[in-house]
Amino acid sequence: MAADSPRTLADQLRGWSDADLAHLLEARPDLATPAPQDSAQLASRTGTRASVLRAVDQLDVLQLVVVDATVALSDLGPSAARGGTVTLAQLQRHVNAAPEAIADAVGRLRALALLWGSDEALRALSVLAEVVGTSVSRLGPSAVELLATHGPDRVTSLAKDLGLVASGERRTDIEQVARHLADQANVQALVAEVDQQARRILEHLAEENAEGSVESTDRPVSRQDAVSPVDQLLTRGLLIARGRRHVAVAREVGLCLRGGRTTRTRVDEVPVLLTSAREESLVDRAAAGTAAAFVQRTELLLEHWGASPPSALRGGGLGVRELRAAAQLLQVSESEAALHVEVAAAAGLLAVGETDELDAAWLPTEAFDLWSAGTAVDRWVRLAQAWLDLPRLTGLIGGRDESRKPVNALAPGLERSWLPETRRMALAELAQLPRGEVLAAGTGVASLVDRLKWHRPRRPVERSRAVGWVLEEAAAIGVMALGGLARHGQALLAEDGSHQAPAALEPLLPAPVDHVLLQADLTAVAPGPLERDLAHHLATMADIESRGGATVYRFTTASVRRAFDAGWSAAEIHAFVASSSRTPVPQPLTYLVDDVARRFGTLRVGAVSSFLRSDDEAALAELAHDPKATSLRLRRIAPTVVVSDAPVDVLLQRLRELGTAPVVEAPDGTVRLARKTSSRAPGPRRGGKPPEADAARRAARTAATVTAIRAGDRAAAIRPGRGAGTAPGSPAAVLAVLREAADAKESVWIGYVDNAGATVERVVDPVHVHAGRLTAYDHRADDVRLFAVHRISSVRPVRHAPDR
Amino acid sequence: MNDGPLIVQSDKTLLLEIDHERAQDCRKAIAPFAELERSPEHVHTYRLTPLGLWNARAAGHDAEQVVDTLLEYSRYSVPHALLVDVAETMARYGRLRLERHPVHGLVLSANDRPVLEEVLRAAKVKPMLGVRVDEESVAVHPSERGNLKQALLKLGWPAEDFAGYVDGEAHPIALDERDWELRTYQREAAESFWHGGSGVVVLPCGAGKTLVGAAAMAHAQATTLILVTNTVAARQWKDELVRRTSLTADEIGEYSGSSKEIRPVTIATYQVMTTRRKGAYTHLELFDARDWGLVVYDEVHLLPAPIFRMTADLQARRRIGLTATLIREDGREGDVFSLIGPKRYDAPWKDIEAQGWIAPADCVEVRVTLPEAERFVYATAEPDERYRLASCTGVKNDVVDRLVRRHADEPTLVIGQYIDQLDEIAERLDAPVIKGETPVKERERLYNAFRAGEVRLLVVSKVANFSVDLPSAAVAIQVSGSFGSRQEEAQRLGRLLRPKADGVSARFYAVVARDTVDADFAQNRQRFLAEQGYGYRILDAEDITAEL
Repeated sequence: MAADSPRTLADQLRGWSDADLAHLLEARPDLATPAPQDSAQLASRTGTRASVLRAVDQLDVLQLVVVDATVALSDLGPSAARGGTVTLAQLQRHVNAAPEAIADAVGRLRALALLWGSDEALRALSVLAEVVGTSVSRLGPSAVELLATHGPDRVTSLAKDLGLVASGERRTDIEQVARHLADQANVQALVAEVDQQARRILEHLAEENAEGSVESTDRPVSRQDAVSPVDQLLTRGLLIARGRRHVAVAREVGLCLRGGRTTRTRVDEVPVLLTSAREESLVDRAAAGTAAAFVQRTELLLEHWGASPPSALRGGGLGVRELRAAAQLLQVSESEAALHVEVAAAAGLLAVGETDELDAAWLPTEAFDLWSAGTAVDRWVRLAQAWLDLPRLTGLIGGRDESRKPVNALAPGLERSWLPETRRMALAELAQLPRGEVLAAGTGVASLVDRLKWHRPRRPVERSRAVGWVLEEAAAIGVMALGGLARHGQALLAEDGSHQAPAALEPLLPAPVDHVLLQADLTAVAPGPLERDLAHHLATMADIESRGGATVYRFTTASVRRAFDAGWSAAEIHAFVASSSRTPVPQPLTYLVDDVARRFGTLRVGAVSSFLRSDDEAALAELAHDPKATSLRLRRIAPTVVVSDAPVDVLLQRLRELGTAPVVEAPDGTVRLARKTSSRAPGPRRGGKPPEADAARRAARTAATVTAIRAGDRAAAIRPGRGAGTAPGSPAAVLAVLREAADAKESVWIGYVDNAGATVERVVDPVHVHAGRLTAYDHRADDVRLFAVHRISSVRPVRHAPDR
Repeated sequence: MNDGPLIVQSDKTLLLEIDHERAQDCRKAIAPFAELERSPEHVHTYRLTPLGLWNARAAGHDAEQVVDTLLEYSRYSVPHALLVDVAETMARYGRLRLERHPVHGLVLSANDRPVLEEVLRAAKVKPMLGVRVDEESVAVHPSERGNLKQALLKLGWPAEDFAGYVDGEAHPIALDERDWELRTYQREAAESFWHGGSGVVVLPCGAGKTLVGAAAMAHAQATTLILVTNTVAARQWKDELVRRTSLTADEIGEYSGSSKEIRPVTIATYQVMTTRRKGAYTHLELFDARDWGLVVYDEVHLLPAPIFRMTADLQARRRIGLTATLIREDGREGDVFSLIGPKRYDAPWKDIEAQGWIAPADCVEVRVTLPEAERFVYATAEPDERYRLASCTGVKNDVVDRLVRRHADEPTLVIGQYIDQLDEIAERLDAPVIKGETPVKERERLYNAFRAGEVRLLVVSKVANFSVDLPSAAVAIQVSGSFGSRQEEAQRLGRLLRPKADGVSARFYAVVARDTVDADFAQNRQRFLAEQGYGYRILDAEDITAEL
């Protein structure tokens, strides 16, 4: 930066290299949209409150303290004299950090255009005084500012009390007092004079930048007769009255009390992560195992939901009960189940759709089919990336919000814009640990939270909790394990994570196997992830008992029957089982399949409306083949049983017509005699309403009908004939005609699409058109109605307004 | 990914591929903490349970070792959550300790105060505790030592018992190994029990559990109380002890329904201990009759509930449990753990078999078809009648005939549940029958004759199931069984598993009526046997003559 200071920020920006400018626009992307016209516009934009707030949120503790110090020092003594500029040397003297670190921080702040000017004349953006002020150091207002409210007498007496020669000129005296209080030696001497209690009050107020409230500050006291602690401090300028009832510590005094620094503690010490040693391959393998399990469970859950979808809450979330069921299905905790659901939704694999019954439900998307056809590695990467960018704070799920309502998975309201950044920062910190070192169990997480707090002190409190959740989620998803970031997790963080991560994860995941081990206890063990088709077929004919790196299937009577139901034959099952097993097929399995095959289909079910039963097989055979009986569609299902699709009464009548003498059988097998019963109708209901009311209602209905008919007639009468000029169709034209008619108080004929989708015709007198709605008197309804303009398909003025 | 034989599933099962070259090493490594659930031919299933992990802790293994073992042998990556869970579960054992305190006697102490506070607040535990000794320990009523351990286990904070044992009244006992020798695994079992203090030794039927008991007694050198299932078993214990140790018949007393002798070594039955008169156990004084230095529980998995309660008061004495399986039908495995002690030794059946100690058994299911008439009766029968109808079908008798004829020169047992059926079969085969009403003397006579080879064929009912040595049975034919209980299978198989002199493999036939509940139960049996790793074949009754 040039030694002579730029006059304005815009000047400075003009002097910057392209690289510097590009860096600024990258660091503060909001400045670039829309593209500023020139440096002046860019400069003014950098100073807007919203933009500065965003930029300040990105600062770490040291940078923030430097900003704070720049603001604090700019009103004091020499800086104020220089027009509010601060020198780097001044900052290095007053900020409690190593000088190089401060120089670095200033460089960074300048690059962000939060500070500008040369090292000899640094300025903070004016809005920073408001946004940051001295909120970090908690220093009070300057003595000049505090004394500005004091009358000349009080200033004079204070100057005298401080042993200064009062000039009587208020302004000069104030400056004199301020200068006196800015000297550390003077302040120390003054503090030494007051008693213990006063010192404690002073320390407390100085530390907290709190305003002490006292009964009254408004009394002339001199140093000699000051007895009470507050009076002792007031007469020495250690406290300065602020208004009638409040006292404050002047910034100069505060600085002196802190040994000339704006903060008591060092601010350039980044909290270190507490770590312990752990073999890196262990971390990688444990994380990969979790990753594989996570993918498996996601698939299991979505497949299950594809078959029996959980309904979506009206607010869009997933019910507590459904989440609990999912947790049970996946054999994980509810919070982990919530993570599965959220990540699947974020990855686009799960969305609200309609079931066959048209209810809103959470369903796997079409993308899920593509996803599940991919390799385990690709599937994981997709989930992990979705998680990395997930702005939703899933840790809140299962708890209650501020209004004590339960927080549901997938429900809106969990989005936190800072979450993805926090997540990446937390993982990036872990990525920086040397290989073989992981977060120490217990204390590690807390140290990470502290470190992140140093880097981004202005983040909400919620974030500290979020860091814990992020680590838990990362462990659940397989990005990290045992407190360390796995290699594939690290790869995921890289810019081209989707390319790097698979390569890192691939060798850690088991390769698909194409065979199972069949055992005599009717289990089949797949010693690794099965090829897709094989897994699918096996799942049809055997139940899954255990999942993980391997899968254990169990053949049971029910599961084999399921395969038969799905269209497999015994021979096919035998062949499939034999071909997919590396070991000989155990005899009990062969027997099981054959046993089920033997019983499969021995009972048959069908639907009929009536049956015919007779011990006379010949008579039944005759009937079944009688061409006159074809309409009854008789089928013979056993030598003595014929069934029909015709209902009993039809069958009975037709059979009688055919000359047979059937009787009806009751459900218990006895013969039910058909006896003619004479019918009765239910009596008419006697209404409880008086006849007058009925009459009135009838009259009203009639009148309405008449109005409607009349209106219909008019519409017909004035309906423009075909070819008699087209009605305006474009919305703009429709609006124009309607407005015109409203102004002229004329009737128009409109074609209107009603709720049922049918086009109806109305003659209306437009009153006004507003917000896409036409308010008009409807002749048919004899009332003023609202019409949506977009539903009006055509409109035509009616020149001869019909009578109402 | 490394090429290990083990696959760790997320549901905490471990699959061990036994054809893998490192399978043997892996089995040895995981045996201390994982329980073998199934051992069919290719892949054995182990399960990680809290009890199993605590057993491992009790045996001195720590979580780090378990995790390392899993990671070392695992073929695929091990899910992180499982490792965390293992570590957490194992860390729960031993946070609380039962110790001797010079002033307060028995105290419960913890180096982890929150845990102590947690259990102190449990309603069940509170009444068992006395005054608070200091921040980390609290006095325990000595009589509650067992109950407290039970309660703490239920809370998930099993206590380690360091309170020690009384030596008991000394009595010299030595093994008399002149014409035989303790097998390696029996010696190991006895030693690991002794070092552990108290606990359970798991060995399959026929692997010589009695001798493990004898070896334990030789370690203890003290008066011993032996609790067995029934009188016949008591006699066999006595015979075996006289034969294999320095004890003479006079030193061994029998405490049963018929005789009540109290000697330096006393054998009592569960039955007599649980007899009650007017609601009170009449024979409780046996426990105090002498200053026992060792209590032996035979067939721990059958230990009746009242004995558990009595055992809770015996916590100051050394206890050894002997069993073929830790699985209890009533699910009280936790009580065995807290009252008798953690598992001290375990060897899978197949291994002992492979070492040649147990003859391998060949299991065959013979399926008979009910004749049409019986099918009809069966189909219309009440549900609770069905099992009896299917089990006792006459067709089975014919099959039994043929099977017996085929194994005419081999010692054969016919086992069944229904006395009528057994009587009928016995009559057809002209064989003696042992059932509930058979006097003990007669039973013993028949068993001895069978053992001596004078009787080739015995028909036995359920009563013969437990704790009876029939060392030379080579063939067992089961015609009906009680609802496929896992225990019964273990017992029946046990009948056949005793070492044979000629190395011929034993045969186990189960005759089953096709398409009935009998067949459904047979499926359970099939699964159990296959899970235990035995070959299992199914035959149609018609094929019997053709085969062999």
